[in-house]
Amino acid sequence: MKIIVTVKLVPDTNADKRIDPGTKRLVRTGVENVLNPFDEYAIEAALQLREKRNDGSTVTIFTMAPESGKEIVRKALAMGADDAVMLSDPKLEGSDIAGTAHAMAAALKKTGFDLILCGTQSTDAITGEVPGFLAEVLGVPGLTYVRKLDSDGTTINAQRETDLGYVDVSVATPALVSVTKAINEPRYPSLKGIMGAKKKEIKMFSLADVDFTRAAGSDGAKTELLELATPPARQKGRVVNAADGTEGAGAIFDFLREKKLL
Amino acid sequence: MRDVIVFIEQRAGAPRRVSLELATKAQDLATALGGKTHGVVAGAGASQAAEATKAFGLGTLHVAEGGVTAEYLIDPLVDALEAAAKAAGPALILVPNTMIGRDVGSRVAARLDAGITSDATDVTVANGKVSTVSPKLGGLTITTCAFKNTEYGVVSVRPNVFAAKPAASPTSSLETLTLPAKKYGMKMGAEVEEAAPELGVEEASTVVSGGRGLGGPEPFTTLIKPLAEALGGAVGASRAAVDAGWIPHAHQVGQTGKTISPSLYIAVGISGAIQHKVGMRTAGTIVAINKDANVPIADFADLLVVGDLFQIIPELTKRVEAEKVH
Repeated sequence: MKIIVTVKLVPDTNADKRIDPGTKRLVRTGVENVLNPFDEYAIEAALQLREKRNDGSTVTIFTMAPESGKEIVRKALAMGADDAVMLSDPKLEGSDIAGTAHAMAAALKKTGFDLILCGTQSTDAITGEVPGFLAEVLGVPGLTYVRKLDSDGTTINAQRETDLGYVDVSVATPALVSVTKAINEPRYPSLKGIMGAKKKEIKMFSLADVDFTRAAGSDGAKTELLELATPPARQKGRVVNAADGTEGAGAIFDFLREKKLL
Repeated sequence: MRDVIVFIEQRAGAPRRVSLELATKAQDLATALGGKTHGVVAGAGASQAAEATKAFGLGTLHVAEGGVTAEYLIDPLVDALEAAAKAAGPALILVPNTMIGRDVGSRVAARLDAGITSDATDVTVANGKVSTVSPKLGGLTITTCAFKNTEYGVVSVRPNVFAAKPAASPTSSLETLTLPAKKYGMKMGAEVEEAAPELGVEEASTVVSGGRGLGGPEPFTTLIKPLAEALGGAVGASRAAVDAGWIPHAHQVGQTGKTISPSLYIAVGISGAIQHKVGMRTAGTIVAINKDANVPIADFADLLVVGDLFQIIPELTKRVEAEKVH
């Protein structure tokens, strides 16, 4: 099977990020880009499927990012993916969900695939809406929130999470699947993996290399950003040192009553 | 964009509250846009859910029930919303920002070649133009977006930000939506329920969350859940508690979990590191209980009680329950 894993580089989730009030952009100084944590589950799921099938199936990492995104792709390769494809073009700057999905689809049609694996969402935009949109644009079944995955090569058997539990789903390939963090425990890259990743191919695509006929980036976007505001920071509130349970519970109870939350 | 279409998410004939919140909001938006309101209800139980939605005053409810809609999860819902949208013409489409709502919204946006904005905490109309407000980067920045070059705008709206109120006049008409006879590529089994049908953290107006300070899985059952129930809320958790295997991931609040906006958030034994903070910083009121006064949550909780959670929570639960009796 040809398995593609879509990844995104995002600002470090552990950093307390801030917006520059002048430029209204994220202050990047001191904030590292990392591989979107949700995508690590998709990579691990792909690697496990390849290992289980052991039939020459391949795992290709795909990202749409500026060239600096290569660094993040190397981490995904170090986990054990076979190769990577990057769609990188300055014209893509300012893409919204629709534009992102269409550009990704154009590149993925070029690479070909049996299965596309995505993380549930990114930790920066947190839309969770690219996988569904992408599946529609590619014209393949889209199965989201998967926590268990297996395939005989032509059919995907999966468990999709629901609000109360799960449903079993089967779907023929080619298909797109997004996975949740309940699916596995992503591996750490081994030293051998890290060394090996440096030799793996990262194929670079620009828009000219793929069949993309729409207006790109902000020109083609269906949404426009009108305003970026920094919300007022939450203030430090009241602190009560409770000697025992009664005092602690009383303080909270009175507070909730005062705030009309009871 | 003129008419406003609301996707009514339902389970076994009961509409989800967030959809009713959107139904209420839709009427103001439609008035401002000079258009009509519609609801789309599909899947097994759709007719029953439509009946329950009537009181919320949408102009027309389009109902697609039975047949394949009973057996599949997402595709027929997308077909139903797409059909209603195409019949209405240029429209603003509101979907709940839930697991199903996000799927239906993104896929219908792709089919209609529409613009889509996510996780909105407000939707407004000025001079006939729709704009949507969404916290991004975990509430660090608030973006206001509008639609352009599109006939349809799809917005996924965060639960709990609008009130659901029965309307003065109920829904005027029910219309049967006939879906195209279509073979879907996906086969789905019956839902296996693992949890009691309790309120999810995304929708609850009160969330009581437990963290590392609980020390194990049992306090979620013996302390957190009873307090959440007494307050009519849901159980949440920090990443530490989920990663330790104390509680399923569905409860996780934070950057790799769910981003929520309840009116009241009670953090029990949670330090409030940035990863968690971004998931709940837009809560109305934050109460924290921790044995350490120097945890990060001390800097942004409206009330921090420094003390022993194992003593405080049962006592608090008792008092809240006693209050309810009166």
